[in-house]
Amino acid sequence: MTEFLRDKHIQYVKDLDSKITQKSYEYWLSEHLRMNGLYWGVVVLVTLDVLEETLPKKDVFTYIESCWDSTQGGYGSFPGHDAHILSTLSAIQIQAIYQKEVEELDFPHKNEVVSYIKGLQRENGSFQGDTFGEIDTRFTYTAINALSILGELDTELVSKGVDFIMKCENFDGGFGMVPGAESHAAQVFVCVATLSITSSLHLIKNKEILCEWLSERQVLPSGGLNGRPEKLPDVCYSWWVLSSLSILDKLSWIDDKKLKEYILGCQDELGGGFCDRPGNQTDVFHTCFGIAGLSLLESLEQDSAGGPVLNPVDPTYCMPYSTTKKFRKWPYDKK
Amino acid sequence: MQHGIKRTILSKEARQDKYERDAIKISTYRNLTATIFQRRAESDFSTEALELATNLLNLNPEFYSVWNYRREILLDLIKKEPGSKKTRLEYDLKMIMAFLRRYPKCYWIWNHRVWCLQELATSNEANWAFELGIVSKLLEMDARNYHGWQYRRFVVESMEDSKKHNASNSDEYATELLEITFKEYQYTTAKINNNISNFSAWHNRSKVIPKLYRLWKSHGQNSDQYRELVTTFQSPYSILIHELELIKTGMYMDADDTSIWLYLQWLLTDQLFVDDLNKREDGSDGKKSFRSILDEELDIIEELNELEKDDHPENKDHVWCLKSIIVIKKLIAKELVDKEQKYRVESEIKEAFEKLIELDSLRKGRYIDQLKEFREEVTTV
Ligand SMILES: [Zn+2]
Repeated sequence: MTEFLRDKHIQYVKDLDSKITQKSYEYWLSEHLRMNGLYWGVVVLVTLDVLEETLPKKDVFTYIESCWDSTQGGYGSFPGHDAHILSTLSAIQIQAIYQKEVEELDFPHKNEVVSYIKGLQRENGSFQGDTFGEIDTRFTYTAINALSILGELDTELVSKGVDFIMKCENFDGGFGMVPGAESHAAQVFVCVATLSITSSLHLIKNKEILCEWLSERQVLPSGGLNGRPEKLPDVCYSWWVLSSLSILDKLSWIDDKKLKEYILGCQDELGGGFCDRPGNQTDVFHTCFGIAGLSLLESLEQDSAGGPVLNPVDPTYCMPYSTTKKFRKWPYDKK
Repeated sequence: MQHGIKRTILSKEARQDKYERDAIKISTYRNLTATIFQRRAESDFSTEALELATNLLNLNPEFYSVWNYRREILLDLIKKEPGSKKTRLEYDLKMIMAFLRRYPKCYWIWNHRVWCLQELATSNEANWAFELGIVSKLLEMDARNYHGWQYRRFVVESMEDSKKHNASNSDEYATELLEITFKEYQYTTAKINNNISNFSAWHNRSKVIPKLYRLWKSHGQNSDQYRELVTTFQSPYSILIHELELIKTGMYMDADDTSIWLYLQWLLTDQLFVDDLNKREDGSDGKKSFRSILDEELDIIEELNELEKDDHPENKDHVWCLKSIIVIKKLIAKELVDKEQKYRVESEIKEAFEKLIELDSLRKGRYIDQLKEFREEVTTV
């Protein structure tokens, strides 16, 4: 089995914004994903316990502030770009992760962000990604995740949001992107994680069928996990499925050793980073979910000698437990 | 987010070459981006700005802020010249088609298509039939495209909405709805006949059947148009029999395909069928009871398992047959009152789980858990 190339991955993330990388066209073509990319990189570094020394807080916070879209009251992905719910969540997540020493988390534009997100909820409980109206259970998760970090969920929003999620449940136990849509591992993750944040997991009609469906995602000969029946395995799906199983307390329903081998096989041994399938081009998205997945798998081998190499990641938020334990748990205590 | 792109290692010279070529592209791209943001800051909603947006989106179709700007321009142009709405939006629909051929999985492109059509729909100018044709073509190229199926359901819903809007009464509306639903049902049949392991089609079928049943019962029984439904859609029972026959063919064609097994589970557990079956005693109206259907399915799958065993070099059971045998036997055990019979079926289930632990070792942990649960259930009975 390939070993875990810790130092290479650190270097890989460091280089993502280097002068050399900026010489490639692809770097500029991904501006619209930069805030998400920053979050993925931060998760890698914090899981490897080298965050602050690699990416100084001051620089990161300056960048985040430069992406503030004051017209809409949310964060864009890059200076001058429009606010979107996805980049707004990433900005909030990064800010939370960096507040290591603080108990009461603090966010510079908290009130505006809260009203921006709440304003994206529709009558039927769903959330749109921005003011132009795309609907997807991904955005429900994004919204509820962000509001949970900010400690600003409310009863009506949660109950309508959860109702919408439950309308997306399918006969195979999985969830889709909107009511009627086919089950898909990434959508299962966002729905299950939303139910987890809102303490609503008991609403799942048949937990056993759902977990069976999730465990069926592991395929041979690779041992990787796919996103839907009869599809190819992929490191990012490994995360969506693994985190869902972890939330549902059924991590043992797949073969962790085989999966670990698959994920490790997706490393770029020369340049560091992870890709979707062995031999493919790496990116920070798959690097984040590869390492987060390995961290979850490691939680299964706690008793093995040597102690943890990776900081434990919370499957619901894909952030370190040391951060997520500070969030107010829903339902909130009446003050 | 890169998917399915082979890793390439460039030599030093090749990399230098790439940087040189990239330098030109970067400067074009960044200049264009700067120009566009500048114009937007100046509230420039001209056709010239629209053109520039097209150019930039051609370079990067994921640039969501530019799609947003494009929509702002379009809305403004249409406001200034309402008569141009159809032409302008249909131009974008054409442009998006070309984009989708290059990037069939890009959310932002699909998103813009939906937006254009929703705008057209407000003035009853959206051509939904045309959209349905387009998405059918797209699903011919990639039969499992998640966005494609999603878009198809969106088009169908929008067609229904427009009928609701234009129908003079609820009966007329239901009749229109029936026609649309019937076509969607036929579409899933065609897709499945084309490729039995197209789970996206099976999934859609499971959504369409209950709806079609309700609509046909209330508004289609006397219409010649739906003659082929007369036998199959008479009752949930007859639908079930028809669908079981359909997947039987699939099982024998490719027992390793998971789609049919998932669909079988739906057929045997969905309330629509189960309620109808529970209404009748065995043979009361010449129809089979739930129990005899379960027994028959069990026979079929056990026979298939034997065939698969014969084909297997070490004479091993077929994993999906075993899993489905468990599903069915669990349903049978639930119905049984006789303690001894129940005990026997449950022992068989445990035996199947034990085989799966060995044969499908990826999911060993799951079978061990399920077996444990079963042991507890047996003792509590
Ligand atoms: Zn992936």
